[in-house]
Amino acid sequence: MASPLRGEVIRLYKNLLYLGREYPQGSAYFRERLKSAFMKHKDVTDPEKIKKLVARGNFVIKELEALYFLRKYRAIKKRYYEPEK
Amino acid sequence: MAAHVLQQCVRLIARPTPRLCASNLALRVASASTVAVHGRLSYVADSRRTRWLGQSQVSMSVASVLCRQYADLPPLTLESIKDRVMYVLKLYDKINPEKLQTSSHFMKDLGLDSLDQVEIIMAMEDEFGFEIPDVEAEKLMTPDEIVQYIADKQDVYE
Repeated sequence: MASPLRGEVIRLYKNLLYLGREYPQGSAYFRERLKSAFMKHKDVTDPEKIKKLVARGNFVIKELEALYFLRKYRAIKKRYYEPEK
Repeated sequence: MAAHVLQQCVRLIARPTPRLCASNLALRVASASTVAVHGRLSYVADSRRTRWLGQSQVSMSVASVLCRQYADLPPLTLESIKDRVMYVLKLYDKINPEKLQTSSHFMKDLGLDSLDQVEIIMAMEDEFGFEIPDVEAEKLMTPDEIVQYIADKQDVYE
């Protein structure tokens, strides 16, 4: 599996691991899920399919960033405004 | 008379900066000597002070020596790098610490896959505080190779 996509997949894995460190349910939980998600597709050899999966990974990165942004925003809002009753 | 008053004023305005500096230096000398009242340092500082009459130089050098001691890490050696690498690997949950040797191959001997190897490299980046590029990271397959790579990057030799 010495294809040029290998580096891309590994980079994706690394980026997701970095992002997973702040995951609300803990980095260990995230790491386990991430590993199983990658292992589920370990036999995929078709370049087109791999590209699709990498694109899905990049989408997950965006989702995670949005999640963290929202969490930050909520925390700030909670500090500045009275909680609604 | 008016000229005299004006001159005084100008002097007063012009003076604050040097006076501030002087007080700052005095403060530094005082703090340096109070920090090291009971140590060998106070002796060193005293002898230096008598040797050079320029007090500013003395205070500067004493202050810098004190600061540097707090910031310095012990220098890296091949031995300490190896210990830290092995320590990190032992803490990694997928490696059996009993099977781990400095020459064991991550995939062949320890049964890890390429994703685990990426995690190991990330742990090394955290431990030693610098980034390892993907191209190089792919080749690091044994603890020995990691030690060698880090020693090369940090300019550590025998």
